[in-house]
Amino acid sequence: MKIERAAVIGAGVMGAGIAAHFANAGIPCVLLDIPAKEGDRSAIAKGAVAKMLKTDPAPFMHPKNARLITPGNLEDDLNLLADVDWIVEAIVENPAIKADLYTRIDPVRKAGSVVSSNTSTIPLAVLTGGQSERFAQDFLITHFFNPPRYMRLLEIVGGPATRTDALAAIADVCDRRLGKGVVHCKDTPGFIANRIGVFWIQAAVNAAVDLGLTVEEADAVGGRPMGIPKTGVFGLMDLVGLDLMPHIAKSMLATLPAGDAYREQVREHAVITRMIADGYIGRKGKGGFYRINKAGGGKVKESVDLKTGAYAPSEKARLDSVSSAGRDLRKLCEHPDKGGRFARRVLAQTLAYAASLVPEIADSIVAVDEGMRLGYNWKQGPFELIDRLGSVWFAELCRSEGIPVPALIETAAGRPFYRVEDGKLQHLTTGGVYDTVVRPDGVLLLSDVKRAAGKPVWKNGSASLWDIGDGVLCVEFTSKMNAVDADIMAAYGKAMGLVGDGKGVWKALVIHNEADNFSVGANLGLALFALNIGLWPQIEEMVEGGQRTYRALKYAPFPVVAAPSGMALGGGCEILLHSDHVQAHAETYVGLVEVGVGLIPAWGGCTEMLARHQANPKAPRGPMPGIAKAFEIISTATVAKSAAEAKELLYFRATDGITMNRDRLLADAKAKALELAENYTPPEKTTAYVLPGPSAKAAMELAVEGFALQGKVTPHDKVVCAALADVLSGGDSDVSKPVGEDHVLRLEREAFMGLVHTTGTIDRIEHMLLTGKPLRN
Amino acid sequence: MPIYKAPLEDVRFVLDEIVGLDKLSALPGYEEATPELVGQVLEEGAKLCEEVLFPLNQSGDGEGCHFENGVVRTPKGFKEAYATYIEAGWQGLACDPAYGGQGLPKLVNIMLEEFICSANLSFGMYPGLSLGAYNALSMYGSDELKQRFLPKLVDGTWSGTMCLTEPHCGTDLGIIRTKAVPDEQGGYTITGTKIFISAGEHDLTENILHLVLARLPDAPAGTRGISLFLVPKFLAKEDGTPGALNGVACGSIEHKMGIKASSTCVMNFEDATGWLVGEPHKGMRAMFVMMNAARLAVGIQGLGLSEVSYQNAVNYARERLQGRSLSGVKAPDKPADPIIVHPDVRKNLMTARAYTEGARALGALVAYHLDVAERHADPRTKRDSDEFVQLMTPIVKALFTDIGFESANIAVQVHGGHGFIWETGVEQYVRDARICQIYEGTNGIQALDLVGRKLPQDMGRLLRHFFHPVGRDIEAGMEDDELGEFVMPLAKAFAKLQQATALIAQKGLKDPEEAGAAASDYLRLFGLVALGWSWLTMVKAAKAKLAAGDGNAAFYEAKITTARFYMAKLLPQVNSLFITITAGAKPLMELEDAAF
Ligand SMILES: Cc1cc2nc3c(=O)[nH]c(=O)nc-3n(C[C@H](O)[C@H](O)[C@H](O)COP(=O)(O)OP(=O)(O)OC[C@H]3O[C@@H](n4cnc5c(N)ncnc54)[C@H](O)[C@@H]3O)c2cc1C
Repeated sequence: MKIERAAVIGAGVMGAGIAAHFANAGIPCVLLDIPAKEGDRSAIAKGAVAKMLKTDPAPFMHPKNARLITPGNLEDDLNLLADVDWIVEAIVENPAIKADLYTRIDPVRKAGSVVSSNTSTIPLAVLTGGQSERFAQDFLITHFFNPPRYMRLLEIVGGPATRTDALAAIADVCDRRLGKGVVHCKDTPGFIANRIGVFWIQAAVNAAVDLGLTVEEADAVGGRPMGIPKTGVFGLMDLVGLDLMPHIAKSMLATLPAGDAYREQVREHAVITRMIADGYIGRKGKGGFYRINKAGGGKVKESVDLKTGAYAPSEKARLDSVSSAGRDLRKLCEHPDKGGRFARRVLAQTLAYAASLVPEIADSIVAVDEGMRLGYNWKQGPFELIDRLGSVWFAELCRSEGIPVPALIETAAGRPFYRVEDGKLQHLTTGGVYDTVVRPDGVLLLSDVKRAAGKPVWKNGSASLWDIGDGVLCVEFTSKMNAVDADIMAAYGKAMGLVGDGKGVWKALVIHNEADNFSVGANLGLALFALNIGLWPQIEEMVEGGQRTYRALKYAPFPVVAAPSGMALGGGCEILLHSDHVQAHAETYVGLVEVGVGLIPAWGGCTEMLARHQANPKAPRGPMPGIAKAFEIISTATVAKSAAEAKELLYFRATDGITMNRDRLLADAKAKALELAENYTPPEKTTAYVLPGPSAKAAMELAVEGFALQGKVTPHDKVVCAALADVLSGGDSDVSKPVGEDHVLRLEREAFMGLVHTTGTIDRIEHMLLTGKPLRN
Repeated sequence: MPIYKAPLEDVRFVLDEIVGLDKLSALPGYEEATPELVGQVLEEGAKLCEEVLFPLNQSGDGEGCHFENGVVRTPKGFKEAYATYIEAGWQGLACDPAYGGQGLPKLVNIMLEEFICSANLSFGMYPGLSLGAYNALSMYGSDELKQRFLPKLVDGTWSGTMCLTEPHCGTDLGIIRTKAVPDEQGGYTITGTKIFISAGEHDLTENILHLVLARLPDAPAGTRGISLFLVPKFLAKEDGTPGALNGVACGSIEHKMGIKASSTCVMNFEDATGWLVGEPHKGMRAMFVMMNAARLAVGIQGLGLSEVSYQNAVNYARERLQGRSLSGVKAPDKPADPIIVHPDVRKNLMTARAYTEGARALGALVAYHLDVAERHADPRTKRDSDEFVQLMTPIVKALFTDIGFESANIAVQVHGGHGFIWETGVEQYVRDARICQIYEGTNGIQALDLVGRKLPQDMGRLLRHFFHPVGRDIEAGMEDDELGEFVMPLAKAFAKLQQATALIAQKGLKDPEEAGAAASDYLRLFGLVALGWSWLTMVKAAKAKLAAGDGNAAFYEAKITTARFYMAKLLPQVNSLFITITAGAKPLMELEDAAF
């Protein structure tokens, strides 16, 4: 069956967010809520869409996606449901109200369409109880996480009556079109992620209170060192809202089996209860465990004392356990200080709980790990964490903490939950044997390639080259933050040498990695040091060498496909501009942000953007509109907040591809590379830049002056803008003599070298490196 | 008998042409420091050093300090000399007028310190330590402590010390044991033993203020648990005059290689009353501020010794007749030519001269930035100057004291066997110079400070304050044909310095031992380039003077000639230093400890 149109019922935060994400996937979507009491009867759904256009982070990947949503109300517009293939119900968590809704929509929906509930707590059996047989066959649970666009987890639950083809079709749409990591769960309370996550939050809060940790300390141990986002547990609660916790606890307690460990864990803390009562419910309220106190015009970060509930200025946690353990989890747990005791208790309880839930909540540990990674952003799932500790050591830990050792740990009997056999990742089953972890069709993970190959074709300190099959070579960045440096340039050089004319062993090159961010730009630390000691020729060579390499890739006799995900900024964006094709993950954030550090793009970024905008068929005629657009984008360091936006800004071309599911990115890129490799011809050199020179420069500077009058431009902004204007205007060229790209590249270099000699630029670079924030000087 | 004349002409040249006194008197609070006034002060200071302090140098060395029943007596004449010194107000020359000082720039004081150290290093230790105590107290002391004690330090009736070293720790102050326990009156009682305390006990002043590093009861381990205390020898009476003896006693004094007239004491603190200076556990930070000034001062000691050694070597080389010039007889009326005609002797003399004058110019520049860092109205300029001083401090300390020792050795060598004889007076300089390379952080530690702290700080920001101006001067010099013979060697040496810096930053980041192994060679390389920069600056100034036709042409000609020597004969050492730096740590670390 095909899912071409969808509907969401319930225009709350979740429902509206899901509708927006359908739109992001290009699936037209009806969004219904109850009729408004007065005025426009569809005001609730319409209001939700309007609100989402202003929300940050944006639920829409592009504002124009809002047009794919048809808002309506449940009385006048039920007929709209007759056209859709899939109806997602996301209304209030009340079985009676849901049942009533189902009875109302069942007659109007089209035959064979699927209905799913986004419930996070109500068992499927309850939801289908009292509904028709036909309804039960078409019904399942699809549990999205908030915010639906960004959270990758989708828990899917089918009932005994659910049609298998319906389940498969929805799972497939969620995977390919919505880009979700689909995890099949059983019909148990809280499914996987919340079942474990809620337990973990409670365990961590209890442990912090009992062991006397401050919230900073608890988050310092319970965040990064345990592979959990740095918000830790208290920061997370501030994010989701403290008021939510008692509700969740209540509904969990209502449905969890008797004897579930959560029942013992759950505890009310007077301080937290009072915070909720007083409106200190987190970021959406007056503040939470942390708050920024702006009293007296200041900006003081404060946190709650867990004993008294009073706020006091935050103090950075200083725990020897955290500083001495580094990445060694076991060492952290063995440390005698309260940080170590906290880690030990929270990990023992949480991981033991997770281990005790397989096969109750899922058939395999793989689903549990995936759930926690994608739903709670843990770097590693519970079983991966147990592997880090060692299952024997972990069993010992359980005993010392007075927790029964879960059966699954006994089954492991000292063996790891994951192992690599013949280059394949395998996991331990509940039966005690190993099974290969199977990836869905069309999923190619670089980590699997690496595991299978064992060692790369070639590598240096900042990059590796991998054989991803069928004659395609992959460049992976391995430097810190994937910053672009000389070694990465060298790796491109090596790759070009290996691929040669593209007619031998290798046919094409793909540039890809699996880090959170594709690349945040050039390695500024190295550059700043060189700059501080006045190694100007070396800096100039760094610029020119980068230009040479990127040019060479662009005109190489074989196709180069870049497959970014996450941030691709500065030098990391410029490589995309020089690729033959970009196959981008939908969540790719690209931008030429050099001006933020007082520089201009000088690895061909200006040159390429200029070419693209001057050739833009949608822009008005003449050389100036293209120049002005490129100037506007680069001078304001505009970052596209999605791959779709990147297309609009021409960071990506219309022909570049977008992949919704990150796991499918490399496979898509590889397929494209192979497609291009058939009868490949490199691009023609752009020889005719028509650049007006000084008059264009003056126009851009005038525009900057205009902004300066509005107070939007700092003194050094002007210097940087002038340098940029010089490049984009063509320097001393004029319209009668079109110039080649070498001319523009030379201007890039000159402008760059001029800027690195200014104190303003040096200060900006330094400030960015030391504080992570741009300096507005 | 040794000789000494304060190098007034060179100091004036440095102040007027290299630093620019006018820039100094443009700083807030220094309006009075006109070139005329500074000139007078230096001339008076020169007289004091030549006539009062210098004559006591050799006798003080011969006699040494005396220790009897816990009492220390300085050698004959020191008491009187000290009285003369403080009477004329020299102690407060660069101190805050609010406490009775004269508020002159630090630069002027540092130039004067050079004279004092040339004339009598042992004597200079006493006022020098008082100034160190003054700096620490005025920076970190409470208002009450300042009001009570600073005027006494400024007028010199009381003196100061710095009590860091203990029997088991000198370099590694993190393991200090001296304890401080809060008492009922808001003060502290200090207990512990300090050794090697210069001026810890003596008969020059009516009271002594000890600045003592100690640990509070709840102190964390290591350098983050050290606090600074002020402990007077005598507790003051109501009227401010010295009263009861505090729990501080001198256990003995050291018998040592040099600076014999400076007392080096074991100090026992037993329930001594003291006051906290600055914040608890932040003593090292306070100490570091004091140490920066003190390290510069020790560098200047090296410079002073280098100067006096050079003067005596030249004096002797002119008088001593021995052998004939290789290029033909120079003094036919004499039985032999003066040894100054011999290339090897000249090499010695030129070496000492070029180092000394180069160091003076560099030292003055650093001192000038010390003033800018303190006084300038623009916060950015202040910060930049402060960072320049921070960067250059280990270089001035280690390089200048090494130079002091090398020049002293040169003086002995030029004197031949006579140099080895006590009465001649120059072997004392070798002995005196030796301690400067050790105290205030050994020169090895200075090198580690440079590569481990100063170099990587904020991605090399401190370096910028040196590398950028030098780079600019080289670039500008390239435009000028006349400067070619000076600029080219400097440019080459500078390129080596840049390469070595990048190399150490890169290797040291991965393996600190690599940085440690390169440290002292790197400091020397850096120092040589810094002196080269000074010489280029001096050449430009001398040429301008000659072109303008004012002043002593012979002096400027000699400057240029000496610069030529420096660029041709001393600066190229950077090449071998560069090679040894690139050889890395392995050759040092390879031999098993047991195999030594
Ligand atoms: C005459 C004289 C006067 C003094 N005056 C004072 C004073 O007024 N106040 C005061 O507090 N102290 C004073 N001192 C002490 C002086 O500062 C110390 O002697 C000096 O700091 C070295 O400490 P140390 O003797 O314990 O040598 P150590 O620290 O034991 O060092 C021995 C050697 O090992 C090297 N070394 C040590 N650690 C390291 C390392 N981490 N890396 C590389 N090399 C290392 C050193 O460079 C040195 O060569 C004085 C000493 C003398 C001799």
